[in-house]
Amino acid sequence: MKRNTALRLAGIATAGIVLATTAGCSAGGGDDGGAVTLNYWLWDDAQLPAYQQCADDFTKANPDITVKISQYGWGEYWTNLATQIAAGSAPDVWVDQPSYYPQFVADKQIEDLQPYIDEDPDAVDFDAYVPGIADIYQIDGARYGLPKDWDTIGLVINKQAATDAGIDEATLQNLTWNPDDGGTFEEVIAKLTVDKAGKHGDEPGFDPNNVAVYGFLPEWADGSQGQNLWGNLAQSNGFTYSDKNPFGTSFNYDDPKLVETIEWIASLADKGYAPRFDQQSTLSRLEVLQGGSAAMTSIGSFNQLMFKDTADQWIWAALPAGPEGRKSAINGLSDAMYAGGKHKDEAWEWIKYLASPECQSVVGATGVIFPANAEASDASVAARAELGLDASVFLSYAQETDGTFLIPINYHGTEMAQIVQDAIQSVALGTNDAQTALSDANAKVNALFE
Amino acid sequence: MTVSATLPAVQLDEPAPAPRVRRRAGRGFSIGRTLGWIVLVVALVGTLFPFYWMIKSALTPAADIVADAGRLWPTNPTIVNFARVLGLLSAEETRAAGGSGASINFALYLWNSIVYSALIGFFQTLFCAMGGYAFARLRFWGREGLFGILIAALMVPGIFTLLPNFVLVRDLDLLNTVWGMVAPSLLMTPFALFFLRQFFLNIPKDVEEAAQIDGAGKIRIFWRVVLPMAQGPLITIGLITVVWAWKDYLWPLLIGRDESVRTVTVALGVYLQQSPNTQPDWTGLMAASTLSVVPVALLLIFLGRRIVESLNFTGIK
Amino acid sequence: MTQLELQRPSRRLLPAARTAGARMPRPRGDGRVALFFIAPVLVGFAIFYLYPTVRGLWWSFTDYSLLAEPEFVGLDNYAQVLGDAEFWNAMWVTLCYVVLNVGSQTVIALLLAALMHRLTRSVVLRTTLLLPWLVPNVTVGLVWLWLLDTNLGFVNRTIDAMGLDKIGFFTNPAFAIPTISGINTWAFVGYTALLFYAGMLQIPQDTYEAASIDGAGELRTFFRITLPLLRPILALVLVVSLIGSFQIFDTVAVTTKGGPVNASRVIYYYIYQQAFTYFHMGYAATMAILLVLILGVLTFIQLRLLRASESQLA
Repeated sequence: MKRNTALRLAGIATAGIVLATTAGCSAGGGDDGGAVTLNYWLWDDAQLPAYQQCADDFTKANPDITVKISQYGWGEYWTNLATQIAAGSAPDVWVDQPSYYPQFVADKQIEDLQPYIDEDPDAVDFDAYVPGIADIYQIDGARYGLPKDWDTIGLVINKQAATDAGIDEATLQNLTWNPDDGGTFEEVIAKLTVDKAGKHGDEPGFDPNNVAVYGFLPEWADGSQGQNLWGNLAQSNGFTYSDKNPFGTSFNYDDPKLVETIEWIASLADKGYAPRFDQQSTLSRLEVLQGGSAAMTSIGSFNQLMFKDTADQWIWAALPAGPEGRKSAINGLSDAMYAGGKHKDEAWEWIKYLASPECQSVVGATGVIFPANAEASDASVAARAELGLDASVFLSYAQETDGTFLIPINYHGTEMAQIVQDAIQSVALGTNDAQTALSDANAKVNALFE
Repeated sequence: MTVSATLPAVQLDEPAPAPRVRRRAGRGFSIGRTLGWIVLVVALVGTLFPFYWMIKSALTPAADIVADAGRLWPTNPTIVNFARVLGLLSAEETRAAGGSGASINFALYLWNSIVYSALIGFFQTLFCAMGGYAFARLRFWGREGLFGILIAALMVPGIFTLLPNFVLVRDLDLLNTVWGMVAPSLLMTPFALFFLRQFFLNIPKDVEEAAQIDGAGKIRIFWRVVLPMAQGPLITIGLITVVWAWKDYLWPLLIGRDESVRTVTVALGVYLQQSPNTQPDWTGLMAASTLSVVPVALLLIFLGRRIVESLNFTGIK
Repeated sequence: MTQLELQRPSRRLLPAARTAGARMPRPRGDGRVALFFIAPVLVGFAIFYLYPTVRGLWWSFTDYSLLAEPEFVGLDNYAQVLGDAEFWNAMWVTLCYVVLNVGSQTVIALLLAALMHRLTRSVVLRTTLLLPWLVPNVTVGLVWLWLLDTNLGFVNRTIDAMGLDKIGFFTNPAFAIPTISGINTWAFVGYTALLFYAGMLQIPQDTYEAASIDGAGELRTFFRITLPLLRPILALVLVVSLIGSFQIFDTVAVTTKGGPVNASRVIYYYIYQQAFTYFHMGYAATMAILLVLILGVLTFIQLRLLRASESQLA
């Protein structure tokens, strides 16, 4: 018995070692005989099919290179990327955002693409892009990404709810706002809110504790940019993030203009027009909207396609005009290359393809986002129109002077996002008042730059 | 207070019968017993209900997740969620069924977890048994002092060694490999060493001494004599190590991110992050969670009695 | 050690080289053989415990971003940690969690163990209660995240059906830590109960019989007999639970990620963030050292108790 046991043990041990070695070998990185597998990360699952199409087309043109696309949700995307960079195994190419990329530059983890462009002058036609997008990723003659897409923010309103509340479209297209009384924006929100007894928010007897349909859903998980709501309103109130953009080093998060904006947004919940922050569920704002429990919310142009199945039920409007005019953040994403990647030439081919009219028109035709390539962008607007979705509101800001502003571009993006978001969410929760929270946050943010 | 049984009347002209032990409450009905049973049943239901709910949700098609949220059984039960998380469907089918279209393959992740747990369970127990025996039975210079130092490692919480171990594995280029993942736990854990030594200290020496008289060397004594005697606790500690490794999250998260070595725990976390931006893919998540429970449930069914009966303080982890 | 089964090998399998009147060989040092036995353990200790400890200690005096070489900064990290409101928040949150978790877990486990000891000895019951402990914490977190969801979760739907306000179990700062500690109590109570049960088994049955004769009720028996005799095991389980509880990470990582705001940002999670999200490895190492001091004291107590209980129960 003991002999058999010993033999069995030895057998198991050997099997284990064999298993371990073979399993370990297969985690190499996909480099067998010339074929290369690139890792590409993005956060928006809605864009996956379009980019998978690009990847398949790319492999047809470059049979030795396969692209493996991984998608991680926005909430985890940057922390995952950071962990993988720490581990030295970041993806070869990833989708990059202006607020986060400078940190990669400072840590020397992102590849400068200018040398590649210099060697290959016809690779990229910068004139084909929507103006301004490509410049975001240039620092001192180095270029850290090729343009991917651009977006602005608008409002989406439930058409039926607006009709029931007696709000006409003209009002919705010309909302005004100010931090003191909320302007016509707050009036509309109040009208749209309906409590369980059927009373609207502007009628006497409205019960803020028993609301059936909320007038507005604010976005509170908005980092240090507030791209989805508060940044836009604050800017239209006269707020500027920092001394200069890009690469500011002294920030103004304690500015009273931001404080009153945050206070106004938080007050919506107190009045019953918006849900309480501590009662959120895992459903996104857009799901809640589509489910009928709310009537209006702010929306990025990158989410408009979500409504394609019920396109005729929604009204699209531009953000309200604040004391300093109507403003929306304009964001431009890019594709970045990992400085520690093992297949940089192949990664360059992929980035080039991503930025090319071929891939961008494939993506544009689906209408899911506005690619940086101007033609593809128009194609996207047209594709949306065919589905019954009016995208003109997102383009309207360009018509006005200073109608758009760049989200802040600076170092320490990840840490700043946590600090400012924590502060603003504590206001939404009611555990802190806006001035104190934002002053503390501002001090911490500025301390990062010392 | 409950009713106690009455003793039979003692007759004076007979020798007194041996006093019957009074069983307070007997085997009949009593409030205390009923309450006790109620508590146990509540505990049982409370333990099992979340698992039931998990399975029920896994069998619900994604489209019905809102409608069926309050029902105890799905209106249209389906196994498509299991098919998708096991990687058996194409990307379009996955997306149609509610997923985000990302590629997932829980069959592979289950296998990785099994390899990870089995390797660590087996080798750690073996090496700590050898070490424990040496510290308990063999005589060598500095034995007690050395043991004290090894056990001092008990006082260091995981996170403190985790950070430098991560960098070590990274610098050795062993990231995303099975070796890198099992390395820190493969050779020893202070706990296992401590308890195995305790065990070996307490077994009677006569059998070993007899073998020694017969001229057997120490190694042979260990393999042929001591180990077989220690089968019980060895398997117990082995099982507990396996369970601990099966549950491990933070270390495999840092070291084993690549799909080929990803364990089930890490895969669940990743899957949650890959949810569509609109809402978490609950049906898929529950299907994947069910998959992570099945192996340990099987373990419980087949080895449950042994685990349960040998859980005592020598097996703490 | 009544639970451990010793299987004595048959004498026949030992090499029979017995000569009549052989003397027992004089015990010699086992140095070389011992080296063979303890080599793996020593190597493991040296590489994965000793070396990292020294390295971690060194890092706590440096500014190390994982992507560049460490730079010596003296005691700056320590000063910064002690003045970091987030660090103290993390310690406070962890402490709340530990007290809630270990407290509820111990009480419920004692109750269950007593019931299993006195009411029924069913193996099926014990096996079933152990299931949550075998399941990964990540799975436990996910299942409860789903069950307690504000909109779609079963619990809130039931609460809503009863006409009460829905509770944001994970999104309400007042509820976040109690919910997480409740989840982990659910996961570990079966295991803890079995440990207590094993301890109770070692109490001689005649003590109970004597109490029974004296007319003591169950409750009295429990508090006057079971609990005092269980004390060494109780102390040990308590300390081990405390140590394990301090190291909570998985559940938080899956359910709240430290939120809302920082209401559940436990110390492990904060250290992880500092090290792997913000690349402040030196800072993280410093916090880990402070954690070592706290847990070290607890572990020391645990070892003392273990030695004491071994002698008492033998």
